Amino acid sequence: MILFGSESGNSEDLATIAEKQAKSLGLTPSVKGMDEVEVSDLPNFQNILIFCSTWGEGEMPDNAVDLWEAANGDSPPSMSGCNFAVCALGDTSYEFFCQSGKDWDEWFEKQGATRLLDRVDCDVEYDDPAAEFTTNAISLIASSGTGVANPPEEEPSGESEELSGDGASGPQAETDSGDLEGLLSSGDRSLMLLFGSQSGNSEGLAAKISKDAKSYGLEGEVHDMDGFDFNSLSGKKRVLIVCSTWGEGEMPDNAEDLWQFAISDSASRLEGVHFAICALGDTSYEFFCQSGKDWDGQLEQLGATRIIDRLDCDVDYDAPAAEWILEALPALAAVDSTGHFHEEMVDAIKMYASGSSAGAEGEDGFSMPEVKSEPIQASVSVFRYDPETSSTGTDTWLCSLPGHMSVLEVLRTLKASQDGTLTFRDGYPDDSNTAISINGRLVLPGLCRLDSAAPMREGSVSLRIEPLPGFEVIRDLAIDPWSLERKRESSKPWMVAATREGAHTPQGVMGKMDPAIASSLHSMKDFGSQNILHSSSDAVPHANGYLGPAVIASTWSRRNDPRTSPSKAEEIDKMLSSPIGIKAETDLASINRQSSFPRAVSESLLVAKNSVLTGDGFNGKHGKHVWWYTWTVKSSGMVNDTVIYRQALGPFALLGNLFSGVTARMVLGFTRTGGNVFNGMLGMVAPPAGIGKMPKQFNSSVENHHEVVAIFNEMDGRF
Amino acid sequence: MALKYAYHPGNIAHSSATEVSQTMEPTARSLGIELFPMDGATSCGAGIIRQANDLLQVTLNARNFAIAESMGMDIITPCAATAGNLNEDLARLKRDSLLLAKTNEVLQRTTGLTMSGDVGVHHLLHVIIDEIGLDKVSQKVRNPIDFPIAGFYGPNMQQEGACGEDDVFDPQYLEMLIKALGGEPILWESRTQSVGVPGLFSEEATVLRQIASTIDDAKSEGASMIVSACTLSHTALDVYQGKAGRATGISTNIPVIHLTEMLAFAMGHYNNRLAQLRTRIAVIGD
Repeated sequence: MILFGSESGNSEDLATIAEKQAKSLGLTPSVKGMDEVEVSDLPNFQNILIFCSTWGEGEMPDNAVDLWEAANGDSPPSMSGCNFAVCALGDTSYEFFCQSGKDWDEWFEKQGATRLLDRVDCDVEYDDPAAEFTTNAISLIASSGTGVANPPEEEPSGESEELSGDGASGPQAETDSGDLEGLLSSGDRSLMLLFGSQSGNSEGLAAKISKDAKSYGLEGEVHDMDGFDFNSLSGKKRVLIVCSTWGEGEMPDNAEDLWQFAISDSASRLEGVHFAICALGDTSYEFFCQSGKDWDGQLEQLGATRIIDRLDCDVDYDAPAAEWILEALPALAAVDSTGHFHEEMVDAIKMYASGSSAGAEGEDGFSMPEVKSEPIQASVSVFRYDPETSSTGTDTWLCSLPGHMSVLEVLRTLKASQDGTLTFRDGYPDDSNTAISINGRLVLPGLCRLDSAAPMREGSVSLRIEPLPGFEVIRDLAIDPWSLERKRESSKPWMVAATREGAHTPQGVMGKMDPAIASSLHSMKDFGSQNILHSSSDAVPHANGYLGPAVIASTWSRRNDPRTSPSKAEEIDKMLSSPIGIKAETDLASINRQSSFPRAVSESLLVAKNSVLTGDGFNGKHGKHVWWYTWTVKSSGMVNDTVIYRQALGPFALLGNLFSGVTARMVLGFTRTGGNVFNGMLGMVAPPAGIGKMPKQFNSSVENHHEVVAIFNEMDGRF
Repeated sequence: MALKYAYHPGNIAHSSATEVSQTMEPTARSLGIELFPMDGATSCGAGIIRQANDLLQVTLNARNFAIAESMGMDIITPCAATAGNLNEDLARLKRDSLLLAKTNEVLQRTTGLTMSGDVGVHHLLHVIIDEIGLDKVSQKVRNPIDFPIAGFYGPNMQQEGACGEDDVFDPQYLEMLIKALGGEPILWESRTQSVGVPGLFSEEATVLRQIASTIDDAKSEGASMIVSACTLSHTALDVYQGKAGRATGISTNIPVIHLTEMLAFAMGHYNNRLAQLRTRIAVIGD
């Protein structure tokens, strides 16, 4: 119970913060104002936190007055058995600083309650001391295991959510049966792993179990039995022992002392402890797994609860132990921090650990992805192509499907239930040959969830599924990847290495590479599916012979590989600067926007293009276009289309534009825009520039143009 | 209260697309956008300067950002290529503190300016949808643009982080706006694809096929007109459409206008130009 006496709301805020903190530790607190409880209710709570301000001359705040008066009436209740802590808010500039808190502190003590920790008196800057108080108090309650809720049936009036009920309310469940996440992430989740080992097998197995325990929300603590304090087990909730047998049924050396203590009168009772025993032995001995059997019997005798039958392993213990662990850990994980075993949660925990749960987040930062979701309405339009009739079209299915389904699973479902002729490339989720286009986004459908394949609009998702562009379609969504393979083959992608010096290593003489270069080379080719990268270029379907970005990226990586011989590098340079090389890519923006591969891939294409243009001395149409565009920006700060047309196209191409209608459409642009015939005086002085949509002959410079020139001079003296 | 933006007109609004400048100003006025010219701003580079020297384009745009920051305003532009390039370079500078420091060093030495990255770049379309709202736009409509209209985005603006809340590959903003202006939005596949403007002079044959394919897609879906959110792409789709048609044998005649023109016409500006557009659609066909 968290009680607040508040006038301005500060105490109430602190109470709310304490409530959240308590919940985070698996407690089920109830926050109430002091005017919401009767004094006769107070003994029902085992733990009470008080946040109370002081008003006026040491008076209670308004909402606490009645309770205070009742508490000091003729027959105040006994608070024996109750734990309490008080956080008093006040102002040192007043004479009766924090008087109300002090009053409550004294009252609880007087009535027999136990002070959990000393009262904290806060001045107007109360945030830090109050936060420290809250953390300490909540931690104490959580660690004591008393901050648990009464079962609902015991508190039908709704009082079941109090931080604590009376001690006589019987076994209490920390967690609702459906609250898997809460069970696995709150309170004490330690698992004591004791090993008794002679040869190291038990120790190794205990370490493995400790590692596996993380998957079940448990924190394994591996302890050698040698020197272990047996009585410390009484405060634990989960214990797992791995113990081998030595000689004629004897304990291993490191376990003997602990065993002797365990069977002595000094051994503590172990009620509330759940345990599991994994015994290692050898069936060729008479007293097979005797040590494990001894521990099993003794822990039971001391009152501990066996949560799973003991496993007796022969010399080949790996497989049976692994199988047993899969049963033992979920059972131990189903024990909450109060020692209550939630048997009904065991199956859910198994699913959780196997990765098929609905997802959970732990306080240690890991999170399980949510893989199941509600059905969503989907409109799935699939491109169809029948090669026999050469007919194309689109089939659309309106369906309700779980959002977590992958698009590949959707296609499988459609094929199985709707149209067996539907054709697509099936495979593992990361099979690059399965790639398709969904609303223009190029994806591997096995890795693309239905609910994230396209934006949800008006409660449904609409998918337009098509084959990858840039490839010939065989049928429906199945493309012929051989066109790309042939291009790849033509690029001669194999390594022709230079003779170079190796490094002497323990494995012999080996070539080595600078890690930064190796990483850079890898990032250039880290595109997963070459089909997707090839399709990402909007130029590929229209540029005859263009090798495409996938081949270019691979080739550029090879070009930058220091192992490549000079002659091979020269051959690659020629290919890249050829008409089917990188210059054939008309717009890198179309590649940049695809998210199916890292940005480094498209950036490497830009570097390749820059290298080729530089190597060509910015000659040819491509180089001239880039050169003169850049030059005009330097010359005025703005683009001068006229200069670019003239320099990049040359007189013959300009003449061609005259006859192809391009020039006419520019000059007569005013007939389409409705704008002016002449754009300024230049149109009249130096026609045709400035007439209609013909660009200007000259640009006026931007303001502070000298700054632009200075940047050019600093960054690139070529222009 | 008016929304205030530093105005970058794009690369060709001063030259071969003066209709953008002419229609942007009254459009902004009607929508309650106050435009402040970015005195001294340079071309965004259009992804072309980048091909000569990547860091040169980044530095030039860093200067543009510094100018906007000194004005205390985000940047608005009617050109998707400019929005895309500026956003791309801004994102790089914000992502890479070393690059930002080096760029600022050059900027400081050459111009006395520095940038912090505390500036945004917005295309007019995104400002309308995300900031102004379609309700307000609808209220301003005087002349519904009641045609089947194919909205063209291009690839530059349709990048993660550069297209507001809209989807990169399956955008809706332009279609929503067309609907608010009284038009019938056409859904077509090529609306976010490139028409190859950076290769217009060097890879003309390929680009003409890209242009023809794009226009063909819009026409096949029943569009009477294309409205382009990219002023550079508009040049390819409009000026080169005849040449593209002749090169490919595909019918490419269709009126192509700028986003700012459509907005201005709908909000009652340049009624004579709207009348001319109606004639082009109904009679001439391009």
